[in-house]
Amino acid sequence: MTHRIGVFICHCGINIAQNVDVEALTEYASHLDGVIVSKNYKYMCSDAGANVIKDAIKEHKLDRVVIASCSPRMHEHTFRDVVRDGGVNPYCLEIANIREQCSWAHTDKEQATEKAKALVRSAVAKAKLMEPLSTSTIPVIPEALVIGGGIAGIQASLDLANDGFKVYLVEREPTIGGRMAQLDKTFPTLDCASCILTPKMMEAANHANIELFTYADIAKIEGSIGNYTVQIKKKPRYVDIKKCTGCGDCAQACRLKGRVSNEFDLGLGKRGAAYLAFPQAVPLKYTIDSKHCLFLTRGKCGDTPACKEACLQQAINFDQKEEIITKKVGAIIVATGYDLLDPSAIYEYGYATSADVITSLEMERLISSSGPTKGEILRPSDQKKPKSITFILCVGSRDETQCTWCCRIGCMSALKHVYLLREKLGEDVEINVCYTDIRSYGKGYEEFYRKVRGLKTNMFRGRPSEVRNISGQLTLDIFDTMTSKLFEVTTDLVVLVPAIVPRFDATAFARILHLTQSGDGFLLEAHPKLRPMDTFVNGMFIAGCCQGPKDIQDTVSQASGAASRAAIILSKKELEIDPLIASVDEEICTGCGICIEVCPYDARSLNEKTRVALVNDALCAGCGGCIAACPSNASVHKNFTKKQILNMVDETL
Amino acid sequence: MSIRDLTSMAEAQGLQRKEINERLKKLQNDVSDYCFQCAKCTSGCEAHKLLELEPHKIVALLKKGLIDELVNADIIWTCMSCLKCFERCPQNVAPVEILYALKNLAVANGKQIPGQYTAILQSVLSLGLIQDIQTMTTKENITIKRDDLGLPPLSKPVDSATFQTAIMKLALEKI
Repeated sequence: MTHRIGVFICHCGINIAQNVDVEALTEYASHLDGVIVSKNYKYMCSDAGANVIKDAIKEHKLDRVVIASCSPRMHEHTFRDVVRDGGVNPYCLEIANIREQCSWAHTDKEQATEKAKALVRSAVAKAKLMEPLSTSTIPVIPEALVIGGGIAGIQASLDLANDGFKVYLVEREPTIGGRMAQLDKTFPTLDCASCILTPKMMEAANHANIELFTYADIAKIEGSIGNYTVQIKKKPRYVDIKKCTGCGDCAQACRLKGRVSNEFDLGLGKRGAAYLAFPQAVPLKYTIDSKHCLFLTRGKCGDTPACKEACLQQAINFDQKEEIITKKVGAIIVATGYDLLDPSAIYEYGYATSADVITSLEMERLISSSGPTKGEILRPSDQKKPKSITFILCVGSRDETQCTWCCRIGCMSALKHVYLLREKLGEDVEINVCYTDIRSYGKGYEEFYRKVRGLKTNMFRGRPSEVRNISGQLTLDIFDTMTSKLFEVTTDLVVLVPAIVPRFDATAFARILHLTQSGDGFLLEAHPKLRPMDTFVNGMFIAGCCQGPKDIQDTVSQASGAASRAAIILSKKELEIDPLIASVDEEICTGCGICIEVCPYDARSLNEKTRVALVNDALCAGCGGCIAACPSNASVHKNFTKKQILNMVDETL
Repeated sequence: MSIRDLTSMAEAQGLQRKEINERLKKLQNDVSDYCFQCAKCTSGCEAHKLLELEPHKIVALLKKGLIDELVNADIIWTCMSCLKCFERCPQNVAPVEILYALKNLAVANGKQIPGQYTAILQSVLSLGLIQDIQTMTTKENITIKRDDLGLPPLSKPVDSATFQTAIMKLALEKI
């Protein structure tokens, strides 16, 4: 069957026309076999350009269209709509990329024109063999999964829940709240972190549309946009949360009370094996730490476990087992947060060897009124009030040997600490800040920095080379580039502001979700500017510090953005699926199953009766892995068949 | 053979100078551009407190292309090669490498090598060692000789003429 092909060449203003002779190309294309009409236009993607295509389709009864323009990544969607409106199947369109791959890449106009001819020639060759395809639809499950119960996850869950969608919020720790719950106050407004976070935590817990899974992990995720199946692994907390009233009798009774390091206070405080992370924890339910609990580790805790005896509600249940819960959702928001770099990586600052060298998050717990010292600033080694406190910024940040990136919150968090310490300790305490550059870029940040400069802070512009600990006395030398002088600072407490790093298990977790990571290990967004919350997996979105370091303001904005992106999917009854996916020639397929092994999306399976491999249209992403792997050429990619591609190659050579 | 041969450097300068210049240029472009002047190198510099060496300033001057000024400055000879700046620089700039290159360029330009350096070379040429350590003093301020500890005497080059030729050849090649 012969097709009636139309070729449309775009000038793209001068982007293409200055390096490709568009007129000559149009003339050349008109003589190609099968080409009925060949036209050019200044901006093919404009309304007028679309009319050129639509009119030509009608006038010449075209059934195949070739457009020579920019990359299909840019305008394939636009042109598919145009040819469909013109009356041609949208999948009978082939784009020859003569901008990114031709006019932008070359300087010699004559040669570039020759290359453009070859590209158009090969596109026409493919157009001859293209098949009309139709899209199919899948129903959308109007429920969402949010992974991570920090401020990002809470905000995203609340937005979606208020939009009317059911949300499953999964948190690894026994309580939601995340990093923000560990903070005392927030910069630059000095809002009390708990005061603004706790109401949101409560709202999330009590919302009719939100189901909370705390102390739970994601075991498995299958499926694709609109229809994901999620396995949530609930870890046993050995407390029946239906019975627990949060009275705390178990923690009081626990034989290990005050003997287990409290991770919420970063080891500065102690708890028991039965514990509540912090007083405002949500849900307000106690947890028994299976790593330390005497009964769980040794099988014996006195005659009867003390907590069990103390609990009037009989909520303690040592028979609890791990539980897998399966849920189906249409979209997923990942908000798993960050870790801080262990500053012992910068060994010269002595974090591992000096108790009085602490991190900024540890300082946060010391300042917090719910912290291990009830808000009193006491140095860890001797519990005495420090007379001098020195901050070292950029510890491991902007460092080619550790983390090349800026942590974006270090400067402001240190300035905030200076403010709060002055407030608490008055003028008695000497405060030194060693900074590389102060980055106060956000709304109100520069004003806050000015305020702190007025608080008699010794600012040293430079990085100390080492922190010395001589019989408990900390000293450091700092060369201040502002005065060109080397100062020796003798101090009682050194606060390191460490780099922000991806979660320790980010790589393994990304694998479970099929998400990609950027070079720094954070989760990769689909486009750094225009799709910052999207990922390369359709229906999965990212928010907060799992995508990269950011402050609370940006985190909340991104979380709301991600929720809104997810709602676009959830609000649809069904979704169209792109037909450019794998299919199987059932006559040839031997049922060897290699395609099933290579498929990263679990889209391939075997019909046991007919011994023929199947494709799940909803799951297939059209990556082509199975097509390359198929030993008998039975797996084919629709409109990227071997015949079509070889025809293109033949014409190009 | 004497030390003076090295410092006069009459022949083969052109080629060496070109090579060293290229090394410096490479350091200037590949390395010093990335320095953001945090001065962590100077904060820890062993030669700074007494001798006022400021490695971060050396890098900044190199970045501005003021090579001749640096080559003629006596300060470049104060570096003790402790390699702290190399170990701790957050931007992999390693001022010590730049100082090596500058010192080599200074020699290639005919600058006099400071006495301490030539003394070290003299010691290497005659003994094969940087220092001829025969005694040491303990924490308790007791002086002990090598023999007292049952250590063998320090070995000396067997064929001192060949050894010295080889060392000089190496020294010249390194420059």
